[in-house]
Amino acid sequence: MIRIAAVGDIHVGEDTHGRLRPHWLTLDQHADVLLLAGDLTNVGSRKEADALIEEVRDLPVPVVAVLGNHDYHCDNPLGVRHALEAIGVIVLEGETVTLELAGCTVGIAGSKGFGGGFAGACGHKFGEPEMKDFIRVTEEASHRLEANLRSLQTDYRVALLHYAPVKDTLAGERLEIHAFLGAYQLGEALDSAGCDLALHGHAHHGTEKGMTPGGIPVRNVAMPLIKRPYAVYTLGGAKAGGSGAGRHQRETLTT
Amino acid sequence: MNQEYQYLVGKLQEALACDARVGALDIKITIAHGRVHLTGQVPTEERRANVGLVAHELMPQLDVRNDITVLELSESGKPEAVGD
Repeated sequence: MIRIAAVGDIHVGEDTHGRLRPHWLTLDQHADVLLLAGDLTNVGSRKEADALIEEVRDLPVPVVAVLGNHDYHCDNPLGVRHALEAIGVIVLEGETVTLELAGCTVGIAGSKGFGGGFAGACGHKFGEPEMKDFIRVTEEASHRLEANLRSLQTDYRVALLHYAPVKDTLAGERLEIHAFLGAYQLGEALDSAGCDLALHGHAHHGTEKGMTPGGIPVRNVAMPLIKRPYAVYTLGGAKAGGSGAGRHQRETLTT
Repeated sequence: MNQEYQYLVGKLQEALACDARVGALDIKITIAHGRVHLTGQVPTEERRANVGLVAHELMPQLDVRNDITVLELSESGKPEAVGD
């Protein structure tokens, strides 16, 4: 059995010093890995990135992250990414990583994803170039997610996103903004490639539990929603357990 | 809501999203009878105060009622076995 701790939308700023770290320092008692589902900073500034790495530094389990839209606001997402990578956090954007945890291999395909909406109320590559570009970004992220999941030859496969792949986990959000919270193409990629669990954030007022049309469990781990420093999900209850120590092999697909 | 107030809601939403002191996209704003009413949740007391400050700076002619709350975290809770 592997234990996955996950949270998104922690929105670390200069004013949140030490808010999460005390909870995370004992993570190895509860989980084998921590997955961060984007919006790790509030506006993606250098000072916020510095505050973030003080929260995440030297945790007792491996940490894998994707960025969210807030991490892009200061137009320097690479600054946030590099700050995290400098302290050993694995940051994924259209990439995968394979971890060995508790005697099992776990493949994680990570992507921020993007919006566009869901069946019956979604955008299309139609009309103005700006609209076509919007949907094209979502389609490209989804195609890469599918290819990355297919590439994983591991005991378990997990998709780590910021935007929602299904509208189940948006229940509670205003319908008018669903198109800015996620896209059906991401869910289609999950169902096409298959995986054991999909995690996302972004929808603060949504619902924790959902499922793709093909039956893949989806969990919205936005911290304002779960109101906890992390949620824990276990996979493979029938398989042997183990320690929280892990090592990883990083892969990047260029599809 | 009168016409002027509708535009003010839009302008304040934009300010609360883009102002680095707040950076919040999900603050609920109601303007009526010369008063701005703010509700929602933010991570810290400082950010809660900044929401009110930004609203006051943008529309000093209106009273601001700041009913934003600060998110309190509970313990991590029981694990969920997924897919069993």
